[in-house]
Amino acid sequence: MQRVMQSNVSTSAATTSCDGGFTSCKAEEVMISDQFPAGLRVLVVDDDFTCLRILEQMLRRCHYIVTTCSQAKVALNLLRERKGCFDVILSDVYMPDVDGYKLLEHVGLEMDLPVIMMSADGRTSAVMKGIRHGACDYLIKPIREEELKNIWQHVVRKKWNENKELEHSGSLDDADLNKRGNDDAEYDSSVNDATAASLKPQKKRSNTKEEDDGEIDNDDPSTSKKPRLVWSVELHQQFVSAVNQLGVDKAVPKRILELMNVPGLTRENVASHLQKFRLYLKRISGVAQQGAISTPLCGPVEPNVKIGSLGRFNIQVLAASGQIPPQTLVALQAEPLGRSTGNLVMAMDQPALLQASLQWPKCIKVDHGITFVQPFVKCESSSSIHFPQSFAPVEDVTSGFKAWLSNNIPTAGPGNNGGLSSQNGNMLIDLLQQQLQKPQQQSTVPELRCSINVQPSCHVAPSQSSASFQAVNNPVSVTQNGSFSRTAVIDYNLLPYQSNCSSLITGQVSNVNVQSTGVLSGYIPPASVSPSVSSCSVNADNCASQQVQTSSMTFKASRNLPGFVRSTSNVHDPNGSTKPGDLLDQAPFNNLGYINKGTCLPARFAVDGFQSSLSSSSHGKVLCENIGTRVKQEPNMELGDKAKVGIQMLQHFPPHDLLSVSTE
Amino acid sequence: MEVVQIQRRLVDFTKSLFMEVIPSKKNKTGTLRHTNLLTKISVLCLICLVLLLLVVVDREKGLLDSQFLQLQQLQDESNPDFVVEVVSLFFDDSEKLLNELTIALDQPNVDFKKVDGYVHQLKGSSSSIGAQRVKNACVDFRNFCEVQNIEGCRTCLQQVKQECYLVKNKLETLFRLEQQIVASGGSIPMIEMDF
Repeated sequence: MQRVMQSNVSTSAATTSCDGGFTSCKAEEVMISDQFPAGLRVLVVDDDFTCLRILEQMLRRCHYIVTTCSQAKVALNLLRERKGCFDVILSDVYMPDVDGYKLLEHVGLEMDLPVIMMSADGRTSAVMKGIRHGACDYLIKPIREEELKNIWQHVVRKKWNENKELEHSGSLDDADLNKRGNDDAEYDSSVNDATAASLKPQKKRSNTKEEDDGEIDNDDPSTSKKPRLVWSVELHQQFVSAVNQLGVDKAVPKRILELMNVPGLTRENVASHLQKFRLYLKRISGVAQQGAISTPLCGPVEPNVKIGSLGRFNIQVLAASGQIPPQTLVALQAEPLGRSTGNLVMAMDQPALLQASLQWPKCIKVDHGITFVQPFVKCESSSSIHFPQSFAPVEDVTSGFKAWLSNNIPTAGPGNNGGLSSQNGNMLIDLLQQQLQKPQQQSTVPELRCSINVQPSCHVAPSQSSASFQAVNNPVSVTQNGSFSRTAVIDYNLLPYQSNCSSLITGQVSNVNVQSTGVLSGYIPPASVSPSVSSCSVNADNCASQQVQTSSMTFKASRNLPGFVRSTSNVHDPNGSTKPGDLLDQAPFNNLGYINKGTCLPARFAVDGFQSSLSSSSHGKVLCENIGTRVKQEPNMELGDKAKVGIQMLQHFPPHDLLSVSTE
Repeated sequence: MEVVQIQRRLVDFTKSLFMEVIPSKKNKTGTLRHTNLLTKISVLCLICLVLLLLVVVDREKGLLDSQFLQLQQLQDESNPDFVVEVVSLFFDDSEKLLNELTIALDQPNVDFKKVDGYVHQLKGSSSSIGAQRVKNACVDFRNFCEVQNIEGCRTCLQQVKQECYLVKNKLETLFRLEQQIVASGGSIPMIEMDF
C-alpha cells in the first residue's frame, strides 16, 4: 500500500498527503469508529496554491486526512485509481484546465462521492449552478475552519440515505448487517463507509444485477418506501433503447416507462435516471466537441475507441463518430447488452467511455505529464479504450480491432449473441475503418489495439456512468484467455473505466455463475496487485482483513486481502448487495456484477467476510477493489462466463483495480 | 517570568486595540519592568509588533482582516512557518497574476473574460490570506471588467498593484519583527481577536 501510494504521490501534482493518507487509512481501520469524524479522507482540488495550502492546514487541524491536487484531471485520476479512498471532495469552481462543474459531474456519476464546491464568487446564481450540478454544498471563499469542521455531515447524510434505500430493497439487508458489524471493528468511520460501500447506490453505475435479478433487490413495488433501484446493465440497455426510440430530446419518463415495460419500475426511477443520463450526454457531447478541437487525441480517439472497445457497437453510434451526439450515445447504449453476454458489452459503453474520455481533453494531455496515472491517462486520451501508451498507427487499430472482434466473437459468451457479435464485429470493423480514415490521433490507435487483444469477449456493460472511458478497460481484464490483464494496457483501461465498471458489471454479472468456487483460491488478493493499483490494492487489503470474501470491500480497505480476491466484487458494490460468495466464484468480474445485483449473487462464499469487508472498506473503494480482485480470479474461471464477468468487473472497477489485478 | 508577564500584558493591550479605538492603556506598557537586555529587546519588539498589527489589522479599512488571524491560529508546532509559507505563496501567485493582467490589458483587443478570470483568482487568494484591501480592489476591478471598461480596468490594476505592494511590505516587517522576538528568546503571543 505504501509503495503504491508513493508512486502515486510522486506523479500527482501537489498531492501532499497521499502517503499519509494511505497509511492512515490502514490505521484508521483498526481504530474505533467513535473517533469519527476524525480520519475523514478529503480530496481538495484547487488551482490556487495559496488556498490549497490553507485548506490543507485547516483540514489537518480538523483531524482529517487530506490529499491535495491542483489539477482536476489529476484529481479525477486519483479518484479513479483509489476508489474508496476518499470520503468527500472539495473542489474549486473556477479552474483553468477543467471546469469544477465538470469534475463534479464526473465524480457524481462515477464515484458518487459528496462534492463540495468552493469559490470566491458568492453570487446566488453561481451557488445555484453548483447545486444544480449536484454539489452537496457550496462554500464561499475565504473559507473558515469552522465551515470545514462540518463537512463530514455530507458524508454521513449520503451514506445514510443510501442505506435507507438499500434497506428497502430487501436483498441488501444481510449485506448491510454484515457490513455494519464489520464496520465497527474496522474503520473509524466505518459506519459511514460500510453503508456507503455496501449501499452505494449506483444509479448510473451498472449494478451488476441483471434486470431480472435486479428486481429482487430492486425496488419492491409493494413496499411503501421506494427501494433503491439498481440500474443493471440490462435495465439500462432497455432504458437507452427506449430513449433512443423516443428521441433523446423528446423522451419523457412516462413514455420511457411504458416502452421499457419493466415491472416494478417507477416513473420516478426513470425520471431521475433520465436526468442523470441527459446530463451525461450533454457533458459528453460538449466535451466531444471541445475535445475534437482542443485535443486532437480526443477526437480520433473517440471513433476509435468506440469501435475498438465495443464488441457490439451500435452502428448508429459509430456512424456518428467524431462527436458522439447524444442520440448515438443513446443508441449505442441501447444495444442490448444481453445479446452477447460474452461480447463486448463494453463496446457499448465504449462510446460512452469515449465520450467520457473526450470530456477530459485535458486529461489526455496530462497523461504524459503525470506519471502515476499514466497508464490511465493515456487511455483516456485514446478514448478510454485502453490504456495503451503506444501510439500505433490507425491502421493498427483497425486490424487490431478486427482481430479483437474475431477473438471476441468466438469467445462471446454462450448464447445469444453469437451471431450478433459477429455482425457487430463486422460493423465495428467497418466503422473502425471509417474512423480511422478520419484524422485521428495516434494515441488512440495504439490503445485500441491494446485493448482488443486484451479483452476477449469482455462483456462490457454500458456504463451509465460518465466514465465511459473505462469501458475499454474492461475487456482487458477479461482475459478470457486466462491471462488476465497482466498487460499494462489493461490496467490503464481499467483505470479510467472506473465508473463504467460499475454499470457494466451489473448486467454481466448475472451470467457469472458462482459455480466457479474454485476460482477463489486462484484469486489473488488485490493486495498483491501491482503498486500502481495502489488504491485498489490498498483497499482490497483492508477489505481482506475481514475475509477474503468481501473482495469488493477488501479492495477498498486495502487490508490484507486474503488469498481470494473475491471481495473485489463486493467492493465494487457499495450497494452492499453483492454477495461475497459470488464474487469469489466468478473472478473479479462476478463480483462486480453481483455487487450491483445484490440479490442475484449466490452467497456461496463466506458472505460474512464479504460483508464485513464491504463495511470496512470505504464504499468508494469497493468499486475499485472489486475489479481488481476479480480480475485476478479470472484465469480460474471459465472463459465463457468469466470473461463476461471479468469484463464487467473490469469496467466496473476503477481502473486502478484492474491494474492491480493485472499487475499481480 | 517577566517576559511572560509582559507578553500577557501586550496581548491584552493588543486585543483592546483591535476591538475599538485605542484605549488609554498605553501607559501600562511603559511601566513594564525588564531586568535584562534580552527582556528589553523582547518587549520592544512586542510593542512594535502590536502597533504594527494595530495598523494593519482592522475590521473595515485595515490592510488585513480576520482571515489573517485565522492563518496565524493555524500555525502550530508541526507547521511553525505556516503563515510565512502561505504569504510567500500568495505573493508569488499574485506577482504572476499581476504580470498576466498587465499583459492582457495591454493588448489591442482586451480579452475581458481572461482578465476577469485572473482577477477572480487574485480575489480568491487575497481573501484567503486576509489581504482585505487587495480583495476590495479586486472587486472593483471585476466590476469594470463586467462592463468592459478598459480605462477603469487599468486604473484598478494600478490600485491592486499598489495594495499588494503595501501589504507585502507590512507583512515583511511583521515577519521580521517576529523573527527578532524569537531570536531574542521570546515567543510570539497569540493574538485573539473577536472579529
